[in-house]
Amino acid sequence: MTSGSDTRCPRPSAPISDYGLLSDTRTAALVAGDGGIDWFCVPRFDGEPLFGRLIGGPDAGTFRVGPAGPATVVERRYRQHTATLETTWAVGGSRLTLTEAMVAEVSGRLLPTTLIVRRLSTEESAVDAVVEFDPRLGVRHRRPRVHHRHPAVMCQWGSLAVSLGCAPNLTIEPGRPALITVTPGRPVTLVLAVAYREPLIHVEPAWAWELLTEDEDRWRAWSAEIDGSLPFRDHVVRSLLTLRLLTYSPSRAPVAAPTTSLPEDPGGARNWDYRYVWPRDASIGVSAFLSVGKLDEARGFLAWLLHATRLQRPRLPALLTLHGRDVPAERELPGWPGYLGSVPVRIGNDAAAQHQLDGYGWLIDAAWTFVQAGQRLYTEAWRAVRGFADVVARCWQEPDAGIWEVRQTAQHVHSKLMGWLALDRALRIADTHPLPNRQRRLWREARDAIAAEVRASGFNPATGSYVRAYGSADLDAALLILPLLEMDSAESPRVHGTIDAVRDGLSAGGPLLYRYPPGRDGLPGTEGAFLPCSFWLVQALARTGRRVEAIEMFQTMLSHASPLGLYAEELDPATGAQFGNYPQTLTHAALVQAALAIRDAPVDP
Amino acid sequence: MDWAGWALFGLVATAALTAAQITAQLAGLTRLDFPLVLGTLVTEDPDRARVFGFFIHLCAGQGFALGYAATFALLNRATWWIGALLGTVHVGIALTVLLPLLPGVHPRMASQRAGPASTAVLEPPGLFGVNYGIQTPVVAAVVHVIYGVVLGLLLQAA
Repeated sequence: MTSGSDTRCPRPSAPISDYGLLSDTRTAALVAGDGGIDWFCVPRFDGEPLFGRLIGGPDAGTFRVGPAGPATVVERRYRQHTATLETTWAVGGSRLTLTEAMVAEVSGRLLPTTLIVRRLSTEESAVDAVVEFDPRLGVRHRRPRVHHRHPAVMCQWGSLAVSLGCAPNLTIEPGRPALITVTPGRPVTLVLAVAYREPLIHVEPAWAWELLTEDEDRWRAWSAEIDGSLPFRDHVVRSLLTLRLLTYSPSRAPVAAPTTSLPEDPGGARNWDYRYVWPRDASIGVSAFLSVGKLDEARGFLAWLLHATRLQRPRLPALLTLHGRDVPAERELPGWPGYLGSVPVRIGNDAAAQHQLDGYGWLIDAAWTFVQAGQRLYTEAWRAVRGFADVVARCWQEPDAGIWEVRQTAQHVHSKLMGWLALDRALRIADTHPLPNRQRRLWREARDAIAAEVRASGFNPATGSYVRAYGSADLDAALLILPLLEMDSAESPRVHGTIDAVRDGLSAGGPLLYRYPPGRDGLPGTEGAFLPCSFWLVQALARTGRRVEAIEMFQTMLSHASPLGLYAEELDPATGAQFGNYPQTLTHAALVQAALAIRDAPVDP
Repeated sequence: MDWAGWALFGLVATAALTAAQITAQLAGLTRLDFPLVLGTLVTEDPDRARVFGFFIHLCAGQGFALGYAATFALLNRATWWIGALLGTVHVGIALTVLLPLLPGVHPRMASQRAGPASTAVLEPPGLFGVNYGIQTPVVAAVVHVIYGVVLGLLLQAA
């Protein structure tokens, strides 16, 4: 049934949107259309890469299971409302299908914490396939110590061990592709188990397959609980599933993306590590999940926000690790070739040290959304919110790095608006929660002062639009959140003027928008259209009585998704290629918010 | 063995430990909150949990004080430095055994294996409790040494 080969299979880089996401809500894997897992960190999203070919080249390891010869992908999809990925290739006159998932629910049973199940099957005639298992750990692509212990091959690096079992039995040599023949009625099931600081637990492939199907049932039940009246429901459910798959279950922290250094500018230096948690994403997630009837997820995000930020309180960090610790300092990985030659490859993120005023607005708005839904903030949570509001009232006049994390601070209008939002929503919460009169008065004065200053210094009467920063004529697509604030009414010419100006001035074609004029951030190179902004535009249109336009744009944006319904951070307007870390929590959260805005918008007369 | 001393000084030492730990928490050194962690064994409301947890913690502190008092009685002497040594052993066991085991029995604490079905909202403390802040082991060590020193000094005086 098998034969070995001494050479690794040569494979070109796949487009980012070619990758599918597997996740167990603790870590994630990215699978290319040829069946190669080219990115997989252990034991958590922000751990060391075990398969890093995506940005580390062939020496960084991969785990490919797929056709041995030329083949064409004829269908690639997630099984309906689950996290199970199915890829079918046409191979000669036959078809080969790879069905795969990570087992998310391992609590209460003797199972490894991380388990990937992959099954090759064919229904027509026998098909030759290949299994290329080449694990390399960490930044130095360390090879494992290998033991063959029937029925699995075991790889060890100190406290980390990985086993790969197969049924029918197959001798696998790490680093050497194994050729197999898949015959109808006899699927080949591979089970990868990971143990970190614990004993390895072997799982029989047949049982692993049962676990996968049990997980599927859970995901379907989870999806069935989502509001049935959502427009574009299947797309929204896929985004909500993606958000949940990118949420680290032990702490309930949503990771911004499971990857590092997928470039915003292919071949350029705009490569950042997103395997951390931005309070902004968690805050948007609170609102998104609450609005579709997922109270547990919303509560989990809010609990994480308040717990994780405790050490730095009342300052709100720009980003944190999955357990709320300080993000490691940014460093470059020498020798890593990067995706499409985009170097440097970075791990860690220096944006953690930035002051970003908008974060306070997102967080307090999330708390307000929670209160609006009939929930009450516990004493400790309300104390934290009061502390954050005090910081805003005290520091709103200071320049900050803004939502786009530019490395030079400025008086960003979006940040001021979010400061206004923070104080306004804190005052609203105070209507049902205790607050001393003096503090209430201070917040109100600061809120009104922000509004006055932004209207005076952050508005360009010539274009009828708010601008990116005081004294600047540049636009900023983040200003599209304006209708959500209710600082100016949705009918206000200022709001409409800003939406139209951003739509025209930052257009990258159709609904695609640049986040600010390209290249105006002090970094070398340029970048593509920023996908969350397009969904914010949809939301803004829906909120300002332009529902039909919003729906048209939303539909166009859906056509820009990957074949699996996933989105990166950016898109090249010329080629439609997705760029930036992938898949991205912020983009998927913005998609959900846009759909909710369409749902809630009055039908145009 | 000094039973009256144990009864009174156990409470005093636990109160000192709790005060030191809350001070460290307010100073941003750790997110470890003993009353909250213990109180959420019985209720999910954090405000009420802290009250329940405080009393559970007092009871637990009293239990540990029994061990300290018995050790002092066996050694036939009570000093601050023996108390500090016992506190060091105590925190060693707490960080390496008790805290890591907690997710296995705590109904509202997630484990590192938690999946999407988990509704637990307390995150697992991790090795040495570092998930609650990198300085958590140091804070835990200091407050337990304080506990031991207080017991040693008070039982010595008694």
